Amino acid sequence: MTKYFIKRFLQLVVVAFIISVLVFLLVHLLPGDPSVTILGPNDTAHNRAILFKQLGLNKPLLQQYTTWLNAVFHGNLGQSYLNHESVTHIVATGAPIDIELIVISQVIAFAVAIPLALITSRRPNRAFDNVSTTTTFGLLALPPFVIAPIMVAVFAVSLHWFPATGYVPLTQDPATNLHDMILPSLAITAGSIAVYYRLLRSDLISTLQEDFITMARSKGLSNRRIMLRHAFRPSTFSLLAAAGVNIGALLAGTFIVEYLFALSGLGYSLVQAVQQRDYLVVQGISLVVAIAYVVLQFIIDFLFTVVDPRVVRE
Amino acid sequence: MPDDRELGGSDASDQLLTNMFPGQAATDEMVLSRETEALESDDILVTKPLGFLFWMAIGWLGLVFLLAVFANLLPLPNPDFQNYSAINATPNIHHLLGTDDLGRDLLSRLIFGARVSLIVGFASVAIGTIVGGTLGLISGFKGGSLDISLNAASFVLLAFPAIVAVIAIVAFWGSSLLKITIIIGVGTIPLMFRVVRASSLSFANRDFVIAARTMGATTPRILFREILPNVVPVAVTFGLITVAGVIVLEGSLAFLGLSVPPPTPSWGNMISEGTANGNLSINPYIMLWPAAAMFLLLLSINLIGDRMRQRFDIREGLL
Amino acid sequence: MLGAAASTALTGCSSSNSGSSSSTAAPGSKPGVATGSPVRGGTLTVGTIAEIDGFYPPSNHWDTNGFIYANAIYDPLMAVAADGTVKPYLAKSMTSNSTYDTWTLTLRPGVKFNDGSALTSAVVMANYSALKASPLTGVALNQVASVTTPDDMTVVYTLTGPNPTFPAGLTTQVGYIVGEAMIQQATSNPSAPLTPIGTGPFIYAQWQPNDHFTATRNPNYWRSGLPYLDSITFRPIPDTTQRESTLRTGGVDMIESVDPTTITNFSGSGGTGFQLVDTSTGVIGQPSFAFIMLNTAVPPTNDLSIRQALAKGLDQAAVQKVIGGPPAKPATGMFLPGSPYYSETDYPTYDPAGAKALVGAYKARHGTPTVNLLTIPDPLEIKVVQAVQQMWDQVGFDVTVSEVEQATIIDDFVFGKFQAATSYQFGAVNPDLNYVWWSTTTISPIGQIGLNFTRVNDPTIESALLTGRHTTDQATRVTAYQTVNEQLAKQLPYLWVEQYVFSEVGAGRVQNFNNPTLPDGTPQYAFDEGIFVPTQIWLAG
Repeated sequence: MTKYFIKRFLQLVVVAFIISVLVFLLVHLLPGDPSVTILGPNDTAHNRAILFKQLGLNKPLLQQYTTWLNAVFHGNLGQSYLNHESVTHIVATGAPIDIELIVISQVIAFAVAIPLALITSRRPNRAFDNVSTTTTFGLLALPPFVIAPIMVAVFAVSLHWFPATGYVPLTQDPATNLHDMILPSLAITAGSIAVYYRLLRSDLISTLQEDFITMARSKGLSNRRIMLRHAFRPSTFSLLAAAGVNIGALLAGTFIVEYLFALSGLGYSLVQAVQQRDYLVVQGISLVVAIAYVVLQFIIDFLFTVVDPRVVRE
Repeated sequence: MPDDRELGGSDASDQLLTNMFPGQAATDEMVLSRETEALESDDILVTKPLGFLFWMAIGWLGLVFLLAVFANLLPLPNPDFQNYSAINATPNIHHLLGTDDLGRDLLSRLIFGARVSLIVGFASVAIGTIVGGTLGLISGFKGGSLDISLNAASFVLLAFPAIVAVIAIVAFWGSSLLKITIIIGVGTIPLMFRVVRASSLSFANRDFVIAARTMGATTPRILFREILPNVVPVAVTFGLITVAGVIVLEGSLAFLGLSVPPPTPSWGNMISEGTANGNLSINPYIMLWPAAAMFLLLLSINLIGDRMRQRFDIREGLL
Repeated sequence: MLGAAASTALTGCSSSNSGSSSSTAAPGSKPGVATGSPVRGGTLTVGTIAEIDGFYPPSNHWDTNGFIYANAIYDPLMAVAADGTVKPYLAKSMTSNSTYDTWTLTLRPGVKFNDGSALTSAVVMANYSALKASPLTGVALNQVASVTTPDDMTVVYTLTGPNPTFPAGLTTQVGYIVGEAMIQQATSNPSAPLTPIGTGPFIYAQWQPNDHFTATRNPNYWRSGLPYLDSITFRPIPDTTQRESTLRTGGVDMIESVDPTTITNFSGSGGTGFQLVDTSTGVIGQPSFAFIMLNTAVPPTNDLSIRQALAKGLDQAAVQKVIGGPPAKPATGMFLPGSPYYSETDYPTYDPAGAKALVGAYKARHGTPTVNLLTIPDPLEIKVVQAVQQMWDQVGFDVTVSEVEQATIIDDFVFGKFQAATSYQFGAVNPDLNYVWWSTTTISPIGQIGLNFTRVNDPTIESALLTGRHTTDQATRVTAYQTVNEQLAKQLPYLWVEQYVFSEVGAGRVQNFNNPTLPDGTPQYAFDEGIFVPTQIWLAG
């Protein structure tokens, strides 16, 4: 067991290290640098030189990287060149927003997709199935930046059910927080619903044809019992795998929703940092997101061993 | 679960390295839960009629392709021509689908835009499938250090924050239809690699493959004749799903200014343009037509993928 | 966005109340101007366009947004009055000697920072030293040779040469005074976040970047009785439609906008219950302008006939139609009718036939001219460049459009790696602030950093700029800047598109946001290129 975790930890370190090097190289290859953002119209050669020296950007690339890496090992992810906010603080305030967005949106997605799949897998290609497929694909074809303004126009401006923008931390005021996060979460959820629904549905259809289902039926078990207790469980494999891939993609892909709803999440901070050439912020957030992705995959893998005892935990 | 490589399990570090990267277990399951029996070289498939909806889907896909390919020959106005006296026109005789906020004909832009969306969608996934799929096929079968390093690389690429990469590459390299296709194509390589690899892996130890090897078949022959036919259905299904995803992704890239440069239309940048500058309330048609077209395309792709999977899945074919 | 220069004062220029406005508020009242008596209390929440970088003048570049935040927690030494004159604000007085090269500033006694420290000349000196040493702000203080503090309440500036408009500089970023403890913190620990210490109407309470900034009422504010509000909160909401929706749903009380469609959306029935103020009239000095910048040092735009063709081929009326918002007369220069600096110029009018002829002549000698037009990925800008592309293509150019991010485009400007690009700039109460963009002294070769982005090299412009800076005679100053304007119309480094208009919209209950007064009771320039003052705002019950 310990060996398992040690091995996983090593893998995590290797991946994180490689990604940190790649991100570092990538941002330094970008045209422009923080002096453009910081100095604005006072961006003269003289001022740039001073600024570079102040920020340590005149040192050789390798040294800049090792300095950063060293700081990371001491728990210091650096700070923004612009407002000096520490990267740790950016992550600490941004991560809860993204985690909440992802959790709520995936919960909603499962809550819609699973019942739909359970129902339609028993009667595929009937009217209800086709309507469900059409609707979920309609949602998939509407990207978040389309769904969001439509929802805001209807549910916020017209009906006044939800705010157009706004956020309070969950710990501060859970009720308002959840109320404010509904529309942003719905904007993200749309794509996931179609994926989970179709996946689970096809899995259930396959599983329902297996011998052990026929046997359960012949034993006189009710349809519902068969569905929920016997068919559903093995089908959760692909759902888990898809969730892993989907959430991984969402981890830094929430930028558009954060931008539209004025949420200071990691997606927005990351993109803004790239645009402002705020190197340390980009490197810090990328590192955290990559680690989160890897840990997520580990968890999914672990869950596999839990869901199916046949799967051997290495 | 057929675990990763069974290399004879001799070396302890080998064991460590072969299980180097997680997530493959998940992919294995996702792939296997769909597969029942392998196709051996002389299997006969039980077929079932494909259905009316399937042919509708093929029809729509075909129509879109034809229109996109032959757009230049059609009697359409120039998709980039701006007519300032016909800004935001509702559908009329001169403009069957109306005009956008620069007075450009929406029908024309829709058809020319199909080109970009289809090329970006299919070509990029083709890149991913050919490169990633080939690598996955070989890697899954052969194993060893090749497999370990490719697997590691694919995992790193998947964990990398893609948005940073795209912004940086476009800032550095510029954007055009070709460049975006390549960038997204490279991005799909790790995905296709993992899927094909898992599939190849699962067939590598099947009886018929071992039998072929015992009979003296060379690796290329085994790969081509025994494993590839079994891997193709999975690759195609997953590939189609990815095409759908890429076509939608192009819209998000357009929103961020990272897609094809203006004034070239694409469904993605038309949708993006349709939600900007208050157009959603002023002229919803700008967003509506490309969204509807994209929706129908995704539906078609999904239906086709579904039916194809059913064909290759013997049990499900009996439904 | 490339920051519009902030307010500096221009003496002797008269103007009516700032801001054109449309109102659906109570009849007889003007938007943002309250008629009732002040009500104390409440929190004003403002939806801003973007987040600011920070609150430390020596190291954070302030654009419009920056000054809005700054006006809440700091005070400037000098401020612009509604009639265009520069008057003391935090300072008590500012006088010069007869040659305008020595300026004496006295401070108000008894003013305290929110950390309890007193405002003394030593503090002003500390501010000055930090600003002078900073790569960001040092340039703005180049004219100051030395500063002395004869006593606790007096600061004497000795300039390198006569400059009658020097006080105007103290209405800009370099005139905002922060507490000495903040300067010390910045010097000793340059990379740590700073806590703002100011004398302003509100005291910094909390800042969560990209989320909100809150400041609470300063009970010991030196302007007694002010402010009326208990606190003020700024929320950056980058998407304009969302910002407007947040105002309509009551999520914020007031918003800022740089999108002309906001003006359309809140005029007429769409503005019922709201108060709209914008900068389309009443600008003091020089307004912000949206334009297309041409590089006069690279082909083909280094050829004057090409620049003329590009100007003649640009249909300003059509572009304005595409942009939306309130229509405006095609611009012929950087000053607007109604401004004392306005004059007729030789700026080319829309003449596609003439443009075609010029392009034809060029083509015979050099082949079809190709132009790459740069812009940032802003939906409105992209619309504009597509329209411009078609117009120029129609007169014979071969135009490509490139979307590049903000950081890249500024880099391209600075190094001269562009042919044509969209931008907006030049908002300044004192045109002298725009010296660096047009001076022959700030030109660098392509590939080296130079602030004269267009590389326009015109000695007539240079001498006119210097005249405008040094002269004490108002008429001479006006003529000097008119000369600059006319030369720019001849050289055509800028193709004017239209005024870059700022707007603010307040909910019905927000009172008096467009009616600030200076400490001496006279009206202040209320809406300076998007900058408003929160001191005298109150919320109706």
